[in-house]
Amino acid sequence: MTVITPNRPGRLTQPEANARLRRLYPYFLIGPAAILTLVFLVYPVGSVFYYSLQNSNVTQPWNDGFAGMDNFVALGQDPLFWRSLTFTLQWVVVEVGLQFIFGLALALLINKTFVGRAIARSLVFSPWAVSGILTTTIWILIYNPSTGVGRYLADIGIGEYGVSLLSGSGTTFWAVVLAEMWKGIPFFAILILADLQSVSLELYESADVDGAGTWRKFLSITWPHIRQAVVVAGLLRAVWEFNNVDLLYTLTGGGPAGATTTLPLYVAQTAIHDRDFGYGSALTVVAFLILTFFSLVYLRITKSKEDDK
Amino acid sequence: MKRKNNGTSFTRGRRRGPALAVAVLLTGVLGLTACGSGSGAEKPAGDSGPVTLELWDTDTRPERTENLKKLISMFEEKNPSIKVNYLGLPTDSYMQKISTAIATKATPDIITPKASDISALVAQKALAPLDDKFQSGGWNDKISPAMTQSSKAAAPDGKLYLTPATSLADVIYYRSDFYKNAGLSAPTSWDDFYAAADKLTDKSAGKFGYTLRGGNGFFSQFVQMVYPQAGVDKFFREDGTSTLDDPAVIAAAQDYVDLYGKDTAESDLTADFKTMVAQFGAGGAAMLSHSIGSYPTHVAALGADKVAAVAPFPSKSGKSILTGRMTTGFAMFEASKHKEAAWKFLEYTMSTEGNSFWAQKSGYLPGNLEVAKEAWVTDNPAMQTSIKAVDNKDAVVLEQPFYLPEFNSITTTDMLPDWQRVLQNQLSVKDFLTQSAVKLTKAQQKYMKK
Repeated sequence: MTVITPNRPGRLTQPEANARLRRLYPYFLIGPAAILTLVFLVYPVGSVFYYSLQNSNVTQPWNDGFAGMDNFVALGQDPLFWRSLTFTLQWVVVEVGLQFIFGLALALLINKTFVGRAIARSLVFSPWAVSGILTTTIWILIYNPSTGVGRYLADIGIGEYGVSLLSGSGTTFWAVVLAEMWKGIPFFAILILADLQSVSLELYESADVDGAGTWRKFLSITWPHIRQAVVVAGLLRAVWEFNNVDLLYTLTGGGPAGATTTLPLYVAQTAIHDRDFGYGSALTVVAFLILTFFSLVYLRITKSKEDDK
Repeated sequence: MKRKNNGTSFTRGRRRGPALAVAVLLTGVLGLTACGSGSGAEKPAGDSGPVTLELWDTDTRPERTENLKKLISMFEEKNPSIKVNYLGLPTDSYMQKISTAIATKATPDIITPKASDISALVAQKALAPLDDKFQSGGWNDKISPAMTQSSKAAAPDGKLYLTPATSLADVIYYRSDFYKNAGLSAPTSWDDFYAAADKLTDKSAGKFGYTLRGGNGFFSQFVQMVYPQAGVDKFFREDGTSTLDDPAVIAAAQDYVDLYGKDTAESDLTADFKTMVAQFGAGGAAMLSHSIGSYPTHVAALGADKVAAVAPFPSKSGKSILTGRMTTGFAMFEASKHKEAAWKFLEYTMSTEGNSFWAQKSGYLPGNLEVAKEAWVTDNPAMQTSIKAVDNKDAVVLEQPFYLPEFNSITTTDMLPDWQRVLQNQLSVKDFLTQSAVKLTKAQQKYMKK
């Protein structure tokens, strides 16, 4: 005879308990990650929003307190903010555009079969493996007027002594663009090459039979395959270039005359050097909103084009 | 067969499932917290037993670090009950680390702040005033009164926070071998200086008469080269207005700016200390303005026979203005649990033995009056130049307003980009100085009201 223990009201049967455990199991798994995200992402971001509404300058603690929208009003009237924002947009467009063009060209090139392809691929990818600070050190040495390339060119009569590309009013921008491209191009090349390798050669053979030219094959076969990689790489690079601090800080410090100061670099100067965390946080909030807006617009545009197909 | 309820069922009303999940996750977080706090365990308070002091250094040039560690070991030998732990902070971002330590109440016992940092640290009530200890220890009679005064002037409340252990002073270095080859004698006036800069420039050979600091830290060199030439001995007038827009300052600044591109490398637009020193050491520049502290570096690069130094020259009116007399020493954090032990270390850096070693190795002017008479001081031409300049009874020391909380941000974030525009001819000297004077005046007058 089976004795059934009557369930007391409010108690779960074993199957019910097991079912509940199964339902909770995923939460146990994501719990640690969720807590770490809260502690290291949500809290810092939240505190930046909080401080953007405060006067918080460690050199003038007597002024600390609620500032309302004062920091944002000051930001609208700050010429350094507008200058750095304009430069940031210029920097992102030029960098991502050029990195995409050269990255695509390199990926197409090293996707072909030729002697020494493995070595060529290694060389193409190697700048990406170099740390940011090492990259800037290399370029500082290259641009150094006393010991760099300029000095040796002057020795053979090309250019003048005592001139650095990083100090010239017309050359600084392109000097830093070149240094960043050196590091950024391999990223595009890697992602595009990965997709290129998944394209079936039969498609190209069929296109050859149909008499398609190189450009037609690129537009009709290659581009649709690599398009998603280009979207992802473009978005990632745009965000990274927008937030670029290390290379510009080390190479130019945002100069000369603020000519290479991006918005994040201005944030670093305000919050870290001037120790004005209130205003620095307001700048960060604006940068955050700009990035979010452009990322959504970019994804929306690329998604709708995808849907059209 | 139905399964029996064995008594391990969950209570519906209490909802133990979510509670258990939270408990597990909190345990994980607490575990992390425990890991984080493990290394920060407090040592027993009080200075009676063996004491360990934490010292943070803000200038981590390798040779200085080595010397400071040696100074610490000398101190520990004399004071076996006290151990000093050295920690070097990144020279260009140490204030970030210190600010974090203050905010999290994790400050060390001793720090080596620059005079320009004192205002910010005092504003946060982070440093301990040393006036009473300095007075009762009899240091007033043993330490240069000018250095003590300079140290107090760096604080917004006029108290002593930074021990006047050593001091810097500005000099103009020049390549004595270049001068000799060009048939020039040591410069004694601003006219001599500008004429020499012109004569020693040979652009086609990559040699320039002077290296001008256009990049980070430009303001120190600007003050050194402009105020003595202008003969203006104060940063602010009685009403708190800045003297940056003084006609004499503007005229002197114009002369200084005119050097750029003519007698300097164009790359000087972004030159910082390291770039200038490298250019001077490589023979690319014949003259350089800096403090006496860099003398050992120049000698190491070129040899003592090729480096000479002069103090900034008197103005045309004959007035002698001394710049860069910035005290460099040690300070104690208010939150230190070992103030007596920390003060012992600070005293050691001012004592005859400690001060002699530290000042000599650093290339700084010693604060201890006995040490100032030692042979190594009299044999150092850069130091002798600075000491003789002070001996001139008509000389006036120009103190920079480090006590202003906004001073750092105005002279770097605000003024540096405009300074570079001036050098690029995009902004006139007069507009630059007038606009900058407005900012400094505003800061000074706010300070005066307080």
